[in-house]
Amino acid sequence: MPELFISGLSHKTAPIAVREQLVVEEDKLREILVDLCATGVVSEVMIVSTCNRVEVYGVAEAPGEARALAFRRLGQHRGVDPTSLETLLYTKSGAEAVAHCFRVAASLDSMIIGEPQILGQVKEAFALAQGCQTVGPRLHRLWSRAFGVAKKVRTETELARHAVSVSYAAVELARKIFGSLDGKSVLLIGAGKMGELAAKHLVDQGAFPIFVANRTWRRAQEMARVLAGTPVPFDEWPGALAAVDIVITSTGAPEPIVRKTDVEGALETRRSRPLFFIDIGVPRDVEPGINELETVFSYDIDDLKQVVESNLRERLREAQKAEALVEREVARFVAHGHDLEVVPTIVSLRERLEGIRRGEVAKALENLPDADLRTRQAMDALSQSIVNKILHTPIVKLRESSRSGQGRSWTEMIHELFGLGRGRHDE
Amino acid sequence: MNLVLLDLALLAYVGATALALVHLIQRQDRIHRAASLLTQGGWVVHTLALVVRGVELGRPPLGTLVEAMSVVAWAAVLFTLWAERQYGVKVLGAFVLPLVSVLGVSAAWLPPGLTNLAPALRSAWIWGHVTLAMLGISAFVLNFAGGVMYLLQERQLKAKRPGALYYRLPSLETLDRITYRALTLGFPFLTLGLFLGALWARTAWGSLFTFDPLALLSVLAWLVYAATLGGRAIAGWRGRRAAFFAVVGFGALALTLGAGLLLPGRHGS
Repeated sequence: MPELFISGLSHKTAPIAVREQLVVEEDKLREILVDLCATGVVSEVMIVSTCNRVEVYGVAEAPGEARALAFRRLGQHRGVDPTSLETLLYTKSGAEAVAHCFRVAASLDSMIIGEPQILGQVKEAFALAQGCQTVGPRLHRLWSRAFGVAKKVRTETELARHAVSVSYAAVELARKIFGSLDGKSVLLIGAGKMGELAAKHLVDQGAFPIFVANRTWRRAQEMARVLAGTPVPFDEWPGALAAVDIVITSTGAPEPIVRKTDVEGALETRRSRPLFFIDIGVPRDVEPGINELETVFSYDIDDLKQVVESNLRERLREAQKAEALVEREVARFVAHGHDLEVVPTIVSLRERLEGIRRGEVAKALENLPDADLRTRQAMDALSQSIVNKILHTPIVKLRESSRSGQGRSWTEMIHELFGLGRGRHDE
Repeated sequence: MNLVLLDLALLAYVGATALALVHLIQRQDRIHRAASLLTQGGWVVHTLALVVRGVELGRPPLGTLVEAMSVVAWAAVLFTLWAERQYGVKVLGAFVLPLVSVLGVSAAWLPPGLTNLAPALRSAWIWGHVTLAMLGISAFVLNFAGGVMYLLQERQLKAKRPGALYYRLPSLETLDRITYRALTLGFPFLTLGLFLGALWARTAWGSLFTFDPLALLSVLAWLVYAATLGGRAIAGWRGRRAAFFAVVGFGALALTLGAGLLLPGRHGS
């Protein structure tokens, strides 16, 4: 029977210099997919091509051949020598291929574990192959389950929960302080890119209103427009400290511009409302020591990096949970797959015996024209229970054999013994 | 009968405590669901136990301090289940259930005290007094747990080294809201409860306030909570300060309970 396989290279096995050589545009990819199927080497095929991985998923009698052909075609485009790829390629089949597929979809194989883009990318690759009609029942079953597993990993573990970028880590901290950011007001001082990015994230989460202060009035107006905020004259921003919840600073000033005394003054009117400083400037814009004030939290760029690092550690910890989940799903998928292999045989076996039973019962009743309803029912029940008793053990054995991977020889034998027609059924 | 039920409920609470703590470490939803189910099951059995006990005694099961402790545990579980759902804070159980278990287990182990009340105590007043005070105290169990969680999370945020608790605890804002809600829930109950107690003391002993360690300490606890509420309303105390007072107030309540159990007085059994 043709085998499910996956073969390719990723950021783990091949440098970017190789990966970029194999990137092909969509039209070319379509052509390759169709050609691969047309040669008959594969019966089903799909190609995932991103900047971090180029992988061929398929069903083939000889996966080695399929892989050689696929990568020759992928490399052809830019004149990559296929033999130079051989050492970089990995190939997996059977349960290992299933596991690989689930791990990729769940972002466990990504460069940054838990990054969300990969799921969208494999979904696109799947849609592309579907469009070329190179997806058959087996790849379909594999990927539908893989998407399900990816979703399960996302909801049941916190693999992708915690930010791994500085600007997003700042937003998460804000959420740990304020809960919802709806209606929290933000003051952005300075025009650094990262500051602007953090402010944008905050706006996305519902922060409002936004005040922007800059030494250059024009720049303040520009950024205010981008963030749908209000420009504030640079020497007036300390007045806003009493009112806002979050202050982002990213100026090029050589000295801290947010002084402890300013903040202390503002606190008197704030009535214990928390105030959160995100200082992305280097050198720092917020005077150290402000963090010690009650209800004030002040993070500089190093603090944020530290948070990112522990977020990454947290992701790795969650990844263990996700791996265990994937492992369970693979086992279930494979076991069920084997079950599927023997199901047609079980069905035809049942049909066959049911046919015999009905025939014989009808024959017997013809000879008993006086039989009352009760007798008829009793005969029916008797024959049914005999059939069921006889079938019980073979069916159980058949299921067991399929789980240990020997389903095929058993199904063939049963087809022979009971004369069930062809030895193999369509999937 | 009611002892078996009570033991069952306790067992469920202790089991749920263990599961809630495991959930705090492992954060698996399955474990939280199990802890939650066990808590709910325990609470239902506990309710039955209290009803059966009341029927057996022919009076509310609130006649002794030990009985009252059991009722505090019962109401605290109820409030916590509500707050977990209301605020979507799954780790709340890990902070409240240990207290509930300690209360429940010590109530089960302490000598039950007199079950026949002195004639002076046989009055409808006393049931109002005890019920309200206990409801108040159980809300303050939640208030205390919220305060502790707030202080822990605040420390994580100030230290800038996110540890395990940073990821597990909800936002400061949410914790502050829980703490405040529990305070506004518990305070009227406690106030009315103490008021009824004082009125009834005048009827029974002829004076509003004679020396009784439990009564004195409970007034102290009441003052702490009153100050927190006042601070909030007038000076906008929130967050850390409110959380700090939640802990202090609960300390006063714990002293009150200790005094009731160890020192002679009108509340002693």
